[in-house]
Amino acid sequence: MDIRLIRSSDIPHVQQTNITNLPENYFCKYYMYHALSWPQLSYVAVDVSRPQKTPYDAPKIVGYVLAKMEEDPSDGVQHGHITSLSVMRTHRRLGLAEKLMRQSQRAMYETYGAVYVSLHVRVSNVAALALYRDTLGFKVGGTEANYYADGEDAFSMRMDLDYLRDEADEADDTDGEVQDEGEGEGSAGKNGEGEAVAGKEKMRKVKVGRQLGVGELVERNEAAA
Amino acid sequence: MAQTNSQILPSKEATLFRHLVQNYETKQYKKGIKGADQILRKHPNHGDTQAMKALILSNQGKTDEAFELCRLALKNAMKSHVCWHVYGLLYRGQKNYEEAIKAYRFALRLDPESVQIQRDLALLQVHMRDYQGYVQSRRQMLQAKPGLRQNWTALAIGLHLSGDLAGAEDVLNKFEETLNQAPSKSDMEHAEAVLYKNSIIAESGDVARALEHLDTISKTALDRLAIMELRAKYVLNLDRKEEAQKAYRALLARNPEKREYYDGLEKALGLNRASKADHAKLRDMYHSYAEENQRADAPRRIPLDFEEGDNFKQLAEKYLRRMFTKGVPSAFANLKQLYSDASKKETIRSLVEDLAKEEPQANGTTGGSHKTNGHHPTVTWQLSINYFLAQHYDYYLSRDLKKAQDFIEKTISLNPSKTDYTFNMTRARIQKHLGNIGAASKEMNAAREMDLKDRYINTKCAKYQLRNNEHQAAIETMGMFTRKEAVGGPLGDLLDMQCVWFVTEDGESYFREGNLSLALKRFRSVYEMFETWTEDQFDFHTFSLRKGMVRAYVDMIRWEDDLRKHPFFTRAALSAIRIYCLLHDLPSRATDGQLNSSSELSEADKKKAAKKARKEAEKAEAERKAAAAKKPQSKADDGAEAKKEDTDPLGLELVKTQKPLEEAMKFLTPLLDLSPKNIDVQFSGFEVYIRRKNYLPALKCLLAASSIDSEHPKCHEMGIRFQHALSKVQEALPSQIKDVIESTYLSKVPKTPLAEQNEAFLARHQSSARHIQAAVRTRQALRAEESTVQSAQKLVESLQLDSITLADAEEGSRLLDEIQADAHVKSDYAEAANKRWPDAAFGVKA
Ligand SMILES: CC(C)(COP(=O)(O)OP(=O)(O)OC[C@H]1O[C@@H](n2cnc3c(N)ncnc32)[C@H](O)[C@@H]1OP(=O)(O)O)[C@@H](O)C(=O)NCCC(=O)NCCS
Repeated sequence: MDIRLIRSSDIPHVQQTNITNLPENYFCKYYMYHALSWPQLSYVAVDVSRPQKTPYDAPKIVGYVLAKMEEDPSDGVQHGHITSLSVMRTHRRLGLAEKLMRQSQRAMYETYGAVYVSLHVRVSNVAALALYRDTLGFKVGGTEANYYADGEDAFSMRMDLDYLRDEADEADDTDGEVQDEGEGEGSAGKNGEGEAVAGKEKMRKVKVGRQLGVGELVERNEAAA
Repeated sequence: MAQTNSQILPSKEATLFRHLVQNYETKQYKKGIKGADQILRKHPNHGDTQAMKALILSNQGKTDEAFELCRLALKNAMKSHVCWHVYGLLYRGQKNYEEAIKAYRFALRLDPESVQIQRDLALLQVHMRDYQGYVQSRRQMLQAKPGLRQNWTALAIGLHLSGDLAGAEDVLNKFEETLNQAPSKSDMEHAEAVLYKNSIIAESGDVARALEHLDTISKTALDRLAIMELRAKYVLNLDRKEEAQKAYRALLARNPEKREYYDGLEKALGLNRASKADHAKLRDMYHSYAEENQRADAPRRIPLDFEEGDNFKQLAEKYLRRMFTKGVPSAFANLKQLYSDASKKETIRSLVEDLAKEEPQANGTTGGSHKTNGHHPTVTWQLSINYFLAQHYDYYLSRDLKKAQDFIEKTISLNPSKTDYTFNMTRARIQKHLGNIGAASKEMNAAREMDLKDRYINTKCAKYQLRNNEHQAAIETMGMFTRKEAVGGPLGDLLDMQCVWFVTEDGESYFREGNLSLALKRFRSVYEMFETWTEDQFDFHTFSLRKGMVRAYVDMIRWEDDLRKHPFFTRAALSAIRIYCLLHDLPSRATDGQLNSSSELSEADKKKAAKKARKEAEKAEAERKAAAAKKPQSKADDGAEAKKEDTDPLGLELVKTQKPLEEAMKFLTPLLDLSPKNIDVQFSGFEVYIRRKNYLPALKCLLAASSIDSEHPKCHEMGIRFQHALSKVQEALPSQIKDVIESTYLSKVPKTPLAEQNEAFLARHQSSARHIQAAVRTRQALRAEESTVQSAQKLVESLQLDSITLADAEEGSRLLDEIQADAHVKSDYAEAANKRWPDAAFGVKA
């Protein structure tokens, strides 16, 4: 099982993995929106041990994490958000979800200076809760009533990413190739600037659990006669 | 706005017109229409107003009206760029991009300064991959606004995609030169643009320069991973081994689960898996990574690929012990690839059977710190081993289904969990391999009931129900997790959510039942999903420039370029093509969409089938209506494009097509373009072309197929069929075509009569069911009706072959139908087949 960054060509299978495992589903375009807005943040687990059937076999995706940066953080603090995470039943308990999450978190910190990462999880989802809380170190911030389409409540969870700065410090002492720590820190929190240059777009809020295309948000900036 | 005199509005109406434009932009369509009508009352021939009204009409879905009005507008104001622009937008809305581009060009000629028209034109050009045109448009846009970085980047992208790497780099350089001060460190757009430039340099092949450039940007780049990966690749490519080693080690420290990094490290260390002398060093390398990363799989699993003999045995044992101690359900999935090596397969089997006799040992694991799945260690151990053996004996390379059943029953009896359905899923799978599709479906449903909240097992269950042709049950199963408010019920949601697998399986299931119309309906839906995915890129042509994530955008463009080489497309397309061929062969099938409408089905059967189909349709329709009624009305006229109602939910109109082969071409063309190395694609191409009497393309497919696998039995069948078809028309063919066929093919094949060749082929391949079937099909094609009895007999005999598989036998059964064998031969066949596969349901018609 390889863990690697998502590519556009992975999208059909990521979409299939999602609709196989979870009731919160999205259009292809919504995956594209993630992969093209924050191409560093979403990861896939690929079964590389599958015998090939044709020369055109697409990589068999057995797990993915779909992640983004919050566009307009209400608290003004740069942070990442996990849109969706799942692993095929046949490949669970292999540590894949944990590894996917860790890669994504690191990229949020390195590339976008994310201070923390947030997510929502069904209050009844024992496996995911164990993963987030016990394995990864997320904390429950509160409960959102009625968050999911079927009426279930969500815990909103978050985790600080400062541990990555410490890791970067250590790595710095041992390996000159790795990022110079001052920069990582310097970029934290003020990435907003870069966004402004790139042209900031107003996005409609997309809640996990309610599928929505991105047509609206992109189209708005298009020409009108 | 440049308008001719008669087209100039007095100031009051001019104000109204401005409002009209605003109304359009803010999607206040009703207001807009009102405003337009108000102007038109006084100035009935005002072209721009008519055009704006047309634009609004088209956004309301009134396409015909919109086009009509816009043409009128153009008549009134030939010289108005607004009218031409709108005309282009209407065409764009219809996805008629060629016409849209033409209209935009007119508009632009009338108003060369218009940023909007220029941008709309450029958009379509890149969408249509007219890179020449795109570059031209982008140059103009850059000239108009050189201060905007996007404009430089866009031009560079155009040049890059059109193949002009140097030009692209040059443009990016020029922009950098205009920067007075270094961009801020957190400027994402800049950070990404320089990485993009680096990728262009690398693509040009000058790796040394790419590395040099990378070194200048690596301090400021924000995408650490990209920098590290590129650096590793470049130094390795330049044979700077020491640095490459360091670079790959740094990458592995971040992510020890990526094969590419290990490959790179091996190369940097000068190690070669194919050379036995290197194995000791490789072993050490992987060992140290395994020790360093207790939770990593790759450094433990990779050595099993190249190790052999005792070393393999040792490592495999260690690997298995670790998996069984922890209770990892995917242990078998991780190893089955090794089964293509018979000795490894055997080693694994004997290892596991030995381990089965053992109790778990504390020292069995490598580090000891693994948590197990929560059960008692002995339980976990026994459970894992029995489960592994069940899968081992179920796998096609090591199949012994009786043993598989014994092991899975043992596993299930050991399972302490009431909700862990993993093993029950395999029980169902074994039933499927036994050919007992009905039991498989029941077992999978039982597994589903163990954990009703889990969508994965829900999905599996629906899939097995479809394999058993239980459409209604399958859709109900899926409905437990689809959105309740979806229009069209669960199926509507699945179509909406682009659930390709379900739609494809549902179609294949209808196809098996002979319901061509619904089958075709489903395959067309898959086709449409791919259309949507093509369309989806449209917005990103603008969006990505704003976001500045250029490399990801280019990656997306290249993916979209060969989107339809995806196996999801191929699978649905091959079936659709088969259906179109059937419709062509027997047009009467088109009247009711049933495969067997005109063959041996009795009147009563036909009536029954028709009634069933009607019932299903009525039910679907009722569900759809109910769902639609529940759905909250979308907020009036504002934008929300009303979802078009499906006027042909059963596909009955689809199968009535007068030109089935032309429809088939829509599926075939992308297949032949993008998946030419897939032999089934070539066969499928042959079937279409031979029916269209396109002999050269048919021959091309035939030759391509035999260059992929000349031993494939279908190559024989098609070769003979080709010659047979040709013998009937040869005289009429233009001499050029005849010459080509003669020199590339006919001159190389035997001249003996075709029937003789076929009999010789049959005689040569007595021991292969697939070859026998091909020969039978060929006889049929040669119209040797008199041999039907013999053929049928051959097929019955083929059931005694050692090598025949269940799938072969099922194919033989279908073939008996095709050649319209006698009922008593069919029942002989079913009896013999059932003897061999007692659990399979031969001869039982649903
Ligand atoms: C939640 C999910 C993504 C976990 O994936 P996974 O790859 O099996 O998880 P990992 O193997 O990385 O687990 C890491 C740790 O999380 C915890 N964990 C994971 N699954 C667990 C379970 N079923 N019960 C208890 N703890 C569990 C364990 O501590 C585990 O470490 P361990 O195996 O060493 O004990 C997976 O179960 C899933 O896809 N579920 C369905 C979809 C879903 O619920 N997604 C989350 C939506 S917010």
